[in-house]
Amino acid sequence: MKPVVTRQLVHDYVTRDEEGNPSETKRALDHVDITVGEGRFVAVLGANGSGKSTLAKHLNALLLPTDGSVLVCDMDTADDQYLWEIRKSAGMVFQNPDNQIVASVVEEDVGFGPENLGVPTEEILTRVDASLRAVGMQKYRESSPNKLSGGQKQRVAIAGVLAMEPKCILLDEPTAMLDPIGRREVLETVRRLNREKGITVILITHYMEEVTEADEVIVMRHGRVAMQGTPREVFSRVEELRELRLEVPQVTELAYELSRRGVPFTGAILTPQEFVDAYLSLKPETDAENGGAGAETVSAEVGSERNESVETGSAGKPVRMQDEQPILSLRNVDYVYGAGTAFEKKALEHVNLDIFRGEYIGLIGHTGSGKSTLIQLFNGLEKPTSGTVCYEGVDIFSEKYDRRKLRSNVGLVFQYPDHQLFETTVRLDVAYGPKNQGLSGAELEERVEWALRLAGVAEELWQSAPLELSGGQKRRVAIAGVLAMKPKVLVLDEPTAGLDPCGRDEILSEVERICRETGMTVVLVSHRMEDVARFADRLIVMNDGHILQDAPPKEVFRHREELTAVGLEVPQVTAVLQMLRERGRKVPADIVTTAEAVRALM
Amino acid sequence: MLRDITIGQYYPADSVIHRLDPRTKIVGTMLYILSLFLVREFPGFIVVITAFAGVWILSHVPFTYMLRGLRPILFILFITAGFNVFLTKGTVLWQWWIFTVTKEGLLRGAFMAIRLILLILGTSMMTYTTTPNQLTDGLEKLMKPLKVIHFPVHEIAMMMSIALRFIPILTEEATRIRKAQMARGADMESGGIIRRAKALVPVFIPLLVAAFHRAFDLAMAMEARCYHGGDGRTKMKPLRYHARDRFAYAYLLCFFATVILLRVWLKI
Repeated sequence: MKPVVTRQLVHDYVTRDEEGNPSETKRALDHVDITVGEGRFVAVLGANGSGKSTLAKHLNALLLPTDGSVLVCDMDTADDQYLWEIRKSAGMVFQNPDNQIVASVVEEDVGFGPENLGVPTEEILTRVDASLRAVGMQKYRESSPNKLSGGQKQRVAIAGVLAMEPKCILLDEPTAMLDPIGRREVLETVRRLNREKGITVILITHYMEEVTEADEVIVMRHGRVAMQGTPREVFSRVEELRELRLEVPQVTELAYELSRRGVPFTGAILTPQEFVDAYLSLKPETDAENGGAGAETVSAEVGSERNESVETGSAGKPVRMQDEQPILSLRNVDYVYGAGTAFEKKALEHVNLDIFRGEYIGLIGHTGSGKSTLIQLFNGLEKPTSGTVCYEGVDIFSEKYDRRKLRSNVGLVFQYPDHQLFETTVRLDVAYGPKNQGLSGAELEERVEWALRLAGVAEELWQSAPLELSGGQKRRVAIAGVLAMKPKVLVLDEPTAGLDPCGRDEILSEVERICRETGMTVVLVSHRMEDVARFADRLIVMNDGHILQDAPPKEVFRHREELTAVGLEVPQVTAVLQMLRERGRKVPADIVTTAEAVRALM
Repeated sequence: MLRDITIGQYYPADSVIHRLDPRTKIVGTMLYILSLFLVREFPGFIVVITAFAGVWILSHVPFTYMLRGLRPILFILFITAGFNVFLTKGTVLWQWWIFTVTKEGLLRGAFMAIRLILLILGTSMMTYTTTPNQLTDGLEKLMKPLKVIHFPVHEIAMMMSIALRFIPILTEEATRIRKAQMARGADMESGGIIRRAKALVPVFIPLLVAAFHRAFDLAMAMEARCYHGGDGRTKMKPLRYHARDRFAYAYLLCFFATVILLRVWLKI
């Protein structure tokens, strides 16, 4: 019995006009044939809009085939009588942790499935027990889901599926909204269930690092299966993956780049450890290898992935004077949430920070480290419990200070574009900010167009409804909406969350370009080290309400152990080079991008 | 401001009151509300307050937490008290322009205020100590007889429990949206009523869209977990009365009897 088989599966989304006649048909799945064997761990990869979520919904009979068929444990999803049996056999975990938890207490939510199935009370209790234990959440049995972290909520959701005793678990981008710690929690749980309980797992994702341990990888494109094979097979086709708007793990890319330059790596490298082992055997110590070896640090000529104009841009940046006034400055800032209640929590403690004109700052830390609170202090949305926040030397909480004006100088783009888009057209939406500033007429139009162009929103989209745009486009419109106020400082809260690798790179390059073209000060909040390493000239690492590190990326990533201790990772290439050093190779310890690593290892 | 709404929020603790059967608590709350309207004079409140205080002490819910539930109704409280203070005729204490304060008015205002405060405290006591799911379980079971007249008991209970679960999530979302618009220079704090209402449009629309998204997602997640209405459903924690519930009912009866007796014999 195969848990999942699809035969020539086709799915069309039909848009209907007001009279109910079909007006537009979009093919989301185009003759898909996949077979998943019992106990397998299969990963489905694909860019946004490649049809992978539609596929998942078919496997749970949430959607029915337009053509072709889907068999779940030998039951046809089109056959009504098997509906509940299918949903019980192939349980589904969704992307948004909040929107799939029904009950207000963890154990009651886990019991929801079995209750629906009509399982006797006694057995529900044993199942809930076992499921919570299997995902390591028994301690939170009686907690409210609202008090859990994203990773914990997803584990509860997995437990909820487990309690129905499924043969197969489908996970539809379960980690897209989580930070690295949460992602690790969820993936470890899923892997353990697969290994120890033999449950078949189908994991849909666009994070490549998550699929290296899968038995099989299926890559989707435009509703078709574009590639299929073991992770090693698939990841050896780096160029093809790039074309599919995907990427490979950073070490895989490094090995690939090196092999193109003559280092004979065989097959794809999937983990840092593999890379180190392969590299050491390929390049014995005695070789005249390591072109840049011997150097303790990478000197300027090694360069980085930034293109030339950036190099000159940052080189041309005036050297900061000792007495230059910081544009933003925080002194002894404390921030306490819910002071005086049972839920009192210190979000920031004793934070001192100066931000200077023209800096590109990466702000890192996991959820709850205080970074979101910190950026809301920058434009006075939150008031520190104690301490001062100064913009251009003036205390923003002094009497009669115009904080609305401050907010147009310190532009803050929140994480979810859906939280700010509300107008009927992109143009009108972007005009909201400058209108609040008092602009009108030609000046307003000019400003809106300037912002839209700067944020890279294509002109044909200016009249469309913002809510109908794709994730990446919405993000751009949201950024344009803040740029339109011509801020001097641009703060972006995880602008790439939920985007596929290609969309992420596009947004990051866009931000980089904005920074370069306008000389704006940029603060980029992220939990992806690779992103900030590439662009930022200064990194601020937050942990537990404190600033743990505040230095250029190269400096920060030298402290690999310190960072891992608080649950943050250095970029894979940095880790690889540092591991090589530990094995006695004289390679620099402060490599932060793939390009740098390639040059250092050639 | 929005975060302060704690009505409908569960306060996790392990107390006798928490462990009571939700039906007991619902019936108790109803009797309590009824008694508030039976009381006609201040001394009557002493009985109500005493009875309530007993429950409160057993519940382990912090007093400050209880008081926070009152904040959102302060406005209604003032209006109610104000109307009574100014509109009751009697011995004039103070007069200015069209405003007249009478002794009776003051007493009446205070009386109404106390009644309203006790009402909120009592009902929030129920929601603090009962999870929304228990609450709906209780309601569902208590209202089961209505099924005979095709009243959708289970569906309503489910809707209520989901609404309660999503109140804090949507509240937080509203705060975030408000901040996102304030970051774009929105002015939410000044201007007249019309301007302020207009300023809320950019908050209201994204919130509505988000709520629809969530509803859609949740419906799908529930379907994926085999939800198909109330038929054939079993319960993980079926409701059973325990000894403590019998004590509670006895306590309630004594309390309610006292209120009625006071009303009948002493007219208070």
